[in-house]
Amino acid sequence: MLAARLSVPQALSYTAVCLLLLCVASLLLGAGDIGILPSLQALLGGSDEDARFIVFELRWVRTELALLVGLALGAAGVLLQAVTRNPLAEPGLLGVSAGASFAVVLAINLGASAASLHLGVAMLGSLVGCVLVLLVTRMRGVGDDPVRLVLAGAAFSSMLGALSSLLLLWDQRTADEMRFWVIGALAGRPLDTLDWSLPGLLGGLLMALLVVRPLAALALGERVASGLGHHPQLTRLGTLLAVAILVGTATAAAGPIAFIGLIVPYIARRLVGSDIRRTLGLSMLLGPCVLLLADVISRLLVRPYELPVGVVTAFVGAPILIAVVRNHRLPTL
Amino acid sequence: MSIRSHLQRTAAAITTSLLLALPLHASERTLDSAYGPVKISGTAQRVVALGDSALDAALSLGIQPVGTLASRGGDDVPDYLKTTAGKITLVGSVREPNLEAILRLQPDLVLASSDLSRDLYAKLSLMAPTVVPTGNSFQDWRKTYLTYAQALGKQEEGQQRLAEIDKRSAELRHRLPQGQAVSVVRWNPQGPVIMSSHLFVGQLLNDLGLRANELAAAQAQKPHSDVLSLENLSRINADWIFLATLNPDGRKALEDARKQPAFTRLSAVVDGHVVTVDGQIWSSSSGYLAAQQVLDDVEKALLD
Amino acid sequence: MNISSSRPLLAPAGHHLLRLGDYSLMLHRRSMVVALILSLLLATVATWILAAGDDALTPSKALLAAFGQGEALQVFLIQELRMPRLIAGLLSGAALGAAGCLLQTLARNRLATPGVIGIDNGATAFAVASIVAVPTSLAPSALALSGAASAAILTFALAAGGGARGYRFIVVGIAIGALFGALTNLMLARSDMDAANAAYPWTVGSLNARPADSVLLLGIGLAAGLPLAKLLVNALSLMRFSDNVAIGLGVRLQRMRLLTLALCVWLTALAVAVVGPVGLIALAAPEMARHLCNRHGVPVLNAALSGALMMILADWLGRTLLAPIEIPVGIIAAVVGGPYLLWILLRQAPRSST
Repeated sequence: MLAARLSVPQALSYTAVCLLLLCVASLLLGAGDIGILPSLQALLGGSDEDARFIVFELRWVRTELALLVGLALGAAGVLLQAVTRNPLAEPGLLGVSAGASFAVVLAINLGASAASLHLGVAMLGSLVGCVLVLLVTRMRGVGDDPVRLVLAGAAFSSMLGALSSLLLLWDQRTADEMRFWVIGALAGRPLDTLDWSLPGLLGGLLMALLVVRPLAALALGERVASGLGHHPQLTRLGTLLAVAILVGTATAAAGPIAFIGLIVPYIARRLVGSDIRRTLGLSMLLGPCVLLLADVISRLLVRPYELPVGVVTAFVGAPILIAVVRNHRLPTL
Repeated sequence: MSIRSHLQRTAAAITTSLLLALPLHASERTLDSAYGPVKISGTAQRVVALGDSALDAALSLGIQPVGTLASRGGDDVPDYLKTTAGKITLVGSVREPNLEAILRLQPDLVLASSDLSRDLYAKLSLMAPTVVPTGNSFQDWRKTYLTYAQALGKQEEGQQRLAEIDKRSAELRHRLPQGQAVSVVRWNPQGPVIMSSHLFVGQLLNDLGLRANELAAAQAQKPHSDVLSLENLSRINADWIFLATLNPDGRKALEDARKQPAFTRLSAVVDGHVVTVDGQIWSSSSGYLAAQQVLDDVEKALLD
Repeated sequence: MNISSSRPLLAPAGHHLLRLGDYSLMLHRRSMVVALILSLLLATVATWILAAGDDALTPSKALLAAFGQGEALQVFLIQELRMPRLIAGLLSGAALGAAGCLLQTLARNRLATPGVIGIDNGATAFAVASIVAVPTSLAPSALALSGAASAAILTFALAAGGGARGYRFIVVGIAIGALFGALTNLMLARSDMDAANAAYPWTVGSLNARPADSVLLLGIGLAAGLPLAKLLVNALSLMRFSDNVAIGLGVRLQRMRLLTLALCVWLTALAVAVVGPVGLIALAAPEMARHLCNRHGVPVLNAALSGALMMILADWLGRTLLAPIEIPVGIIAAVVGGPYLLWILLRQAPRSST
């Protein structure tokens, strides 16, 4: 178990400042011609109509979406790592996101088009992914092996990827529409995305709050948890349900964005140690930080065009994944 | 026709294509293609058209190909060619032509698109003379069209068809308001891209005296721009915007686009100058039939 | 495995001893029988695939046509279309099967296959780059070779210290694979539809009209690589035990590792340069071979035979299921092989590797 470097209030306040700065950066920076100064003027009530439009209608909405998705993925990452006791667990790597996006692809293929329908479908898909995770971790002997879980996720994802390609062969018409569901993006999402995904986020967080205490007890061993009056199996189920709701919401809102759920708990653990009661709150601030940073990078890298944010997070996340396995003897959490 | 004579004819076709050096037929002609000169004799009876442009050319010259590919963005012949093409065998998709299905049709001429890979060409050219037009989609579309016409032994008819288009454009040009800026935009789920104005449709619009939008004119290397940031969406603005997806149904694209405030505040949108068009024509195909459709679309939009 | 050579070697039960001067080769009897059966099966299936899907062809006619006898049309169909495709499938399947077997033994983990540690993704990224991003005169297959090599080198360099085994190696491989995967996605997202279509076979794995020169190169590479692999097998089977045991039995560990690794990357790279990323064959083929041979050895030849068999069967399925639309062989392999990989993962006892 890692020792805490910072107290929780310290870490929270530092992260909150970071988040605030990144939000401002996200409002001021973009791929367009409206630079920092005009944006700042617009933000402070300037009258340039183009600048006001870009700052308030485009960047504002996008920042809100990044906050929501980052929060959901950060929290989901911490929960998933706690319940699998595996520092490599990540919704993207374990195939939970792949389950969600494949479910949406399938639904589109079968003719569904309403965006709000995508939310339910994505949650169902990520639930299937979570059930797989549960199956693997409850398998005797297999659950202790961090790598096997990741491999199972990789196998699941690649299988779903192949099935998606197969669907595209049947139906070329939707091929273009489906390309979105392969790499996530925050740009250009319909405006009502926030409205329908907010309840999903709140539901998932509520669920998460319910399981925090039992999860922390479970980290001390099943016996201790039972002794404290918690039901281990119920706790695991509840946690995975929370993860499914959070990841499903995030995926329906912005497509599959990998590695956030790995980067965030990694940083959180280094800051405040590995107790979930300490990391969960912090990760809800760290998640939006990481995603906003990746999003700002994605806007600036190939100006005047943009990159899908999922590509940027993969480029940041893969090295961190390598760092995790290089620096640790992979302690079970 | 018996199977036996089929076989004999195909064997003969194979032999002629292998022994290019021997002059066999009076109406023999040599075409310059992307992979070297191709010799063709007589009038082809069983044409396989790999690609929408090849199919368009063949049909416009009164030749019914025996096989073709499913167009990109669809799983069939492009909508605008469906009635003319009638019943036609599909021999794979644009991504992967099925060689055995092509062989089964026993073609005596294969019209391919200019981006056919060398490996596929190597196989196809053993089955029948295979014509891969030189150049790419940025050159004058008439050149590609005439290459196909020449391969089909219908060079004169091809010239006539092109003259028809030129005549119609010249007429239309007189009636259209001059100096109007236009842009052709494909609204993908990942975001909007602007089509280069140097392609088939851009060339037609230019002939009509319509001015290409600046960003479209700048796309001299790639068929279309990268996905545009919504912050830069004003760069697709023009007096008229032609909006398409890869699919024939442009209305769905417009529905999606209208969900973005960055789109609805463009002056062309405010003025109601957005025209939804068939993407299979406007962003994938080229040829005589496609050109007539494009001119129809422009005439209807700008004059009615 | 007797080291003292003062007395003549005696073959243990179930083995044959083959002697040539000072060198001797021990052959496992059951493995030989399996190899024989697999070869026969392979020949039968190959002949049947040559003829399948065409009413006018029987297997015997197809064989005759392969040697230029029979109707011109049939000869053309067999010699120009089906034979090259079959050969490409056989060779790439064999190379992937053997490479998978080598890497699994080296890493002492049956899940460590070239695809899992990112070699396939590296090859794909480079091949796609040559088509859509960087205009180059080099053929995609040449670049696929260098891509596979760079991914392998990256993975091993970054996993260094932990040896080429254990979880670190695999997870680093997954990360490298994710990096190259993101790179491919990035290039495809920025390219136009036509270029993306041209790159498509490289992203899914396909045997449709593959370049003849890279098939030839693969053939040569396989002809050289397989015997070498067989020669390495004895040392390899000792390396299945712990390092100390292997050193104690006289294996020069470091050199063997490097040699095996180089051979594995060489075979994978050549195969991927032909067929694209069909990594699951490298996972499933050694499993099948091990299951058939029913022993804890390194069945590298049988893995190659099984790989070839799987590859041509998957390709045949892809050609026929949705005809005339082809399903690329990589998709078939992933749809069939994915659940299989999951099954191995779930069934495998905790500490038994290989």
